[in-house]
Amino acid sequence: MTIASDSRPRAVALQPPPPAAAPPPVRRTTRLTRNRWGYAYVAPFFLVFGAFSLFPFLYTAWVSLHRTSLSNIDGGTFIGLENYRNLLQSEFFWNAARNTLTIGVLATVPQLCMALGLAHLLNYKLRHRTFFRTVMLMPYATSIAAATLVFAQLFGRDYGLINTALEAVGLERIDWEGGTWSSQIAIAVIVTWRWTGYNALIYLAAMQSIPGELYEAAEIDGASRWKQFLHVTIPSLRPTILFTVVISTIGAVQLFGEPLLFSGNGTTSGGTSGQYQTLGLLMYQQGWSNFHIGQAAATAWAMFMIILVIVGVNAVIGRLRARADR
Amino acid sequence: MATVSFQQATRVYPNSERPAVDALDLDVADGEFLVLVGPSGCGKSTSLRMLAGLEEVDSGSVLIGDRDVTDSPPKQRDIAMVFQNYALYPHMTVGENMGFALKLAGVKKTEIAGRVAAAAKILDLEAYLERRPKALSGGQRQRVAMGRAIVRQPQVFLMDEPLSNLDAKLRVQTRTQIAALVKRLGTTTVYVTHDQVEAMTMGDRVAVLKDGVLLQCAAPAELYDRPANVFVAGFIGSPAMNLVTGAAVEGGVRLGGTVLPVPRDRLARAAAASGRVTVGFRPESLQLVGPGEGFEVVVDVAEHLGSDAYLYTRLAGADPDDALHPADVVVRTEPRSSVVPGQSLWLGVPPDALHVFDPATSQRVD
Amino acid sequence: MTTIALPGTDSTTATPQAAPPVRRSGAKGGTGGRAGRAGPVTYTLLTLSALVSIFPLYWTMVAGSHTNAEIAATPPPFLPDASLFENIGAALEQAPIGLAILNSVVVAGSITVGTVLFCTLAGFAFAKLRFRGKGLLLSLVIGTMMVPTQLAVIPLFMMIAELQWVNQLQAVVLPTLVSAFGVFFMRQYLISALPDELLEAGRVDGASTARIFWSIVVPVARPAMAVLAMLTFLTAWNDFFWPIIALTNSNPTVQVALAGLGSGYVPQRAVIMAGTLLGTLPVLIVFAVLGKQIVGGIMQGAVKG
Repeated sequence: MTIASDSRPRAVALQPPPPAAAPPPVRRTTRLTRNRWGYAYVAPFFLVFGAFSLFPFLYTAWVSLHRTSLSNIDGGTFIGLENYRNLLQSEFFWNAARNTLTIGVLATVPQLCMALGLAHLLNYKLRHRTFFRTVMLMPYATSIAAATLVFAQLFGRDYGLINTALEAVGLERIDWEGGTWSSQIAIAVIVTWRWTGYNALIYLAAMQSIPGELYEAAEIDGASRWKQFLHVTIPSLRPTILFTVVISTIGAVQLFGEPLLFSGNGTTSGGTSGQYQTLGLLMYQQGWSNFHIGQAAATAWAMFMIILVIVGVNAVIGRLRARADR
Repeated sequence: MATVSFQQATRVYPNSERPAVDALDLDVADGEFLVLVGPSGCGKSTSLRMLAGLEEVDSGSVLIGDRDVTDSPPKQRDIAMVFQNYALYPHMTVGENMGFALKLAGVKKTEIAGRVAAAAKILDLEAYLERRPKALSGGQRQRVAMGRAIVRQPQVFLMDEPLSNLDAKLRVQTRTQIAALVKRLGTTTVYVTHDQVEAMTMGDRVAVLKDGVLLQCAAPAELYDRPANVFVAGFIGSPAMNLVTGAAVEGGVRLGGTVLPVPRDRLARAAAASGRVTVGFRPESLQLVGPGEGFEVVVDVAEHLGSDAYLYTRLAGADPDDALHPADVVVRTEPRSSVVPGQSLWLGVPPDALHVFDPATSQRVD
Repeated sequence: MTTIALPGTDSTTATPQAAPPVRRSGAKGGTGGRAGRAGPVTYTLLTLSALVSIFPLYWTMVAGSHTNAEIAATPPPFLPDASLFENIGAALEQAPIGLAILNSVVVAGSITVGTVLFCTLAGFAFAKLRFRGKGLLLSLVIGTMMVPTQLAVIPLFMMIAELQWVNQLQAVVLPTLVSAFGVFFMRQYLISALPDELLEAGRVDGASTARIFWSIVVPVARPAMAVLAMLTFLTAWNDFFWPIIALTNSNPTVQVALAGLGSGYVPQRAVIMAGTLLGTLPVLIVFAVLGKQIVGGIMQGAVKG
């Protein structure tokens, strides 16, 4: 044995955390066991969850293998994968998939970039901090329906405020709803307007959990503000960014209310030539306008598959980056 | 009031090979203050939690009084517990915290109020009964946790490192207060700590655990004077006992270039297995002797603490290849001694201050 | 040391509740990129962003309080006018917005109560209890967070058709009564805010499992329950896809009524805007009162998630 050092520091190091897992793990089953209580607590949740979420998810798969309509919900003919085959051969599906992708990119990329910038601004020492944050979140509190109705008016061809403004600065009026790109941009603007503030707050929360010492160390190393943002802030935010990318993408794949209400006449075709038809809207159209439920179910599963692929890719990227960091 | 008894009590965590508590046999007398002490992971907290009913007992049994409580839930054991982090209910006032157990037990409101008031008086908490825990200082929270235990008037108090969240000064103060309070109430108490000073100052008896095994349970003085094995010898006391292992030679044990005398029969028994002997001597029992007597050391560092001084030294002529048994020796001397680093000293150990252990078993040899 | 919050301190202060980030005072640290004092450029950019955030809502009020002709004028009006009540009257004639608001209150209120209750129960179990299959069940809950709503609506519609619930409020309430996010949110909160020792203290004090839940878990969980309640109410009020399938314009929620209003064949812009304003107003009022808490809740959820 060596010199017994003073017992104080050792005592601190030895402080035993009583094994972190609280409720005792069970070997011998005794009356102390609280095992069954866990089920009692999750039971109400899983009853509702199972009946109205899990069961429908799976049943949709079953429906997608049938030719069935809304008026004939009990019956229907089993047709195997024909709905999926039809879907893949359908011009409507590919059009909707393309539109979903472009609107998704148009809505997500600028949205997250702006949110990042906004979070950076909100992270300064501010007067009226709460005011700015709350105002940024107002669009999130506005419903899709309300936001779309307002923006449909702002983007109106003849009397819309945006065209009026364009004209005032000497540009031409744009038929926002009629064109492919213009309509998709307009819808992307609605999505961006609603979600930028929300994502900014998420980034802000993540920024505030970065330890200040990191910035001080970078500053001592002579990093400029911009370099600090690039080399300290962004890398620290990477998990959060990945998270918001996934969430926004899942939201974008499901885009429905905006294209439904943007036309202003309640049709489900996504514009006269389907220029802003999305997968979510197509699925609704197949089921509730064309009453082809089996086809709609196949579309819903296709959407889920797309989401799975996206999430999977993101998970892989995240893991690779994490490994590269190690 | 009641006795407490562990009988071959064993706890094995799932997914773990080694028992966290291995066949613990321990009897606590009625009204006794027993301290469980040991390093991290030694099973002291687990033992206490087995007694509390918060941890399963995989085999063996636990008794409170004459009652086998091995399978009883905590509430049927008539115990009260003070937790390391106090575990005060944050949304209840001090008074409500203290009275919660009585309320659950269906005690009449007036009686609860009376008992809470009495406990608050003892603990000097009367002014804080309406406050929430977060409005209290650390020391006050600690007292509320104590109060919550004493209003119950339980058969046994269980205390799990109740002082570890206090700063050093307050810890020393509270230590004496708790010991006095528990003495006064006369309630059987099992107290867990990692701090051997706390254990030695508070316990009627102290049980030292390591790796789930009870190594020695004895009164503090006994533990200090006659440690049963190398671990207890090194664990109890600060600075710790000097423990040196060397080859057994005629008349004693070889320390560096000299031979430290060890009584013949003890030497023979300790060295029987390995030919080597572990000797222990406390820093304060070393005496400066003239050159040629005892053994020689070289001073590395001298620490002056005011009331006394410690010399951190190294055996002169120690075998530099003996890396497993670096032979350093700590010596307590008079304060303001003129010893300087590099100086060489001769040390002697009085025969009655010498502890001898068998290095093969680590057990004491008398 | 255990990393759990000191139980002696109130859980609201002991857990990193994001609402007011401490850093603002900036007394220490943060000379770096993050905590500098905002300059005029920052304020200008933020003010512009705030204007962009607010303008569409403001314009709803402006447009809703003019006649169609006035809105179409060049330059357009930028201040509210007197025709608001007239337009609201017209909107109420065209769409049952009064009924819709009542329905939305009932629907969002029931969903909020149910979600908070069930998710707190389940979140507690996932955070602090041990039972066989817990990990599997939890991954199931988390996994379904990325399943699109579209995947559920067809069987749901069949179910409510079977039960003759089409156009009835319970058709909207029941399927939305729990949320996977809510369970996850409550679990994350309770893991850190509720020390195990507090539950053990309850057991030693003689509390039954049910008693521990009501007397210890719920009080500790209250801040998170409030946040979850606000977020759930907001989401339920704004929910669109399922209500528009399950309900019709004869018994709508606000969103269904707005959709109906916007889909009229003769677009009466001022009336649509007045109706939109009316349907959005309740949320905006809630937001004006509780905005700070909602902001805090979202940021807190972000850190925990």
